[in-house]
Amino acid sequence: MAKPKTVICWLGSCGGCDEAVVDMNEVLLRVAAAVDIVLWPVAMDFKYDSIKRMKNGEIVLSVVNGHVRNSEQEEIAKLLREKSQLVLAFGACACLGGTPGLANLATKEDIFNWVYRDAPTVVNPNGNYPQATSSVNGKTLTLPEFYDRVYALNDIIDVDYYLPGCPPPPYSVMYAVNAVLEDKLPPKGSTLAPHRALCDSCKRNKSKPDRLSIKEIRRIHEVEADPDTCFLAQGIICLGPATRDGCGEACMNINLPCRGCFGPVEGVEDSGAKFISAMASILDAESDEEVAAVVDQFIDPAGYLYRFSVPASILQKSRVGKQTTQQRGAK
Amino acid sequence: MSEYEPKLVCFSCKFSWGYLVDEDALSSKIDNWVPLICTGKIDAAHMLEAFKAGADGVLILGCPEGDCHYQDGNYEAKKRVYLIRRLLEAVGIEKERIRIELSIDPEGRRIVKLVEAMRQELAKLGPAKTSPVRERKPEQPIATRGGK
Repeated sequence: MAKPKTVICWLGSCGGCDEAVVDMNEVLLRVAAAVDIVLWPVAMDFKYDSIKRMKNGEIVLSVVNGHVRNSEQEEIAKLLREKSQLVLAFGACACLGGTPGLANLATKEDIFNWVYRDAPTVVNPNGNYPQATSSVNGKTLTLPEFYDRVYALNDIIDVDYYLPGCPPPPYSVMYAVNAVLEDKLPPKGSTLAPHRALCDSCKRNKSKPDRLSIKEIRRIHEVEADPDTCFLAQGIICLGPATRDGCGEACMNINLPCRGCFGPVEGVEDSGAKFISAMASILDAESDEEVAAVVDQFIDPAGYLYRFSVPASILQKSRVGKQTTQQRGAK
Repeated sequence: MSEYEPKLVCFSCKFSWGYLVDEDALSSKIDNWVPLICTGKIDAAHMLEAFKAGADGVLILGCPEGDCHYQDGNYEAKKRVYLIRRLLEAVGIEKERIRIELSIDPEGRRIVKLVEAMRQELAKLGPAKTSPVRERKPEQPIATRGGK
């Protein structure tokens, strides 16, 4: 029997997700023996054209990481969807938009002006900006079109499974690969990680007082956090209560609070909103002035609560938010 | 766009607002009115969902301070609204699109007035405008662009 054809591909990605695959170490050899990798741009020399020549559904699994922000990424995502039986959105960017999704808080115009005009290291006297098509010596050159905003993978194509994380830890990658190889997959649309919140498995949970109350918000770099005590009990904002478990507590173990790369827990669309509800109930303040005094210490709430998930957030999808984004995106 | 009609969702706690009158009769006077038991039940996600469902604004009417039937549900709602307003501002949406009032009105007459007043304010605000993010000048030094 022919080995199942598999693709590992990156779109708008830093390469960390591919690194997570390589971090499976010798297990990767077993995986490579079990499947036939037909495309892996980071590690192997295959061409997109060979994928284009394949029959629809010929690829059994496409593991796609990274967000979509330009026409090339969209084209590859759609090509892989057409040729694959299963598409796994791999990593926070593919699942939720990821850190690059924070760019949705600024406009395309802002980004271009900064990168090609205003940044102190830029010298661009002719004011050249990248163009999707330009003509040089009578020949037409093309570049992928840079879209107005960042999209998560499921905004562009139908996605079968999700594995969040920045990057997903190696054991969860193995779990996902095994599930496909052994045909033990959960229902379509599932996230291949536990359903509960990170606090459920956090070792610091025991140190949490019966009733948490925050009188002051402290930032992790301003204090020496106790390595065994619940961050929220120390007044440090930790997104654990609203974030899916399964990361292996990589941040906790090096004394950093959860930043939310695993996205919302099962059944929740917007982890930022859920965290706001949780945080409101542990704020120890009554009068408007007291509430303001504590909350105003929370620097950059949008960036903190949606560090990995602006494109997947409710506000991004709401009419109010959309108008804002569209108007911002318009020239 | 002179015929712009803002849509407003109003949540109110049944313990203080309109409990003496027939809910159906009052409901016919107020569009998108959601009477519920305790404003502390309104999750921040519900507030954002209202925007996703097409609302231009959200009004929350809770019990007077110190009068929550469940001790502190109205305070919880107040804190959530404050946080949500911070969030809206941060993503470039006017914070005036969501507000909370803690008071009492058994006959529910003020609900109609408050909804109408807020609708007029929203009409002045118009559909969501360009964000402060956009208006931030790129000429600003990096320190203020990247947060404090």
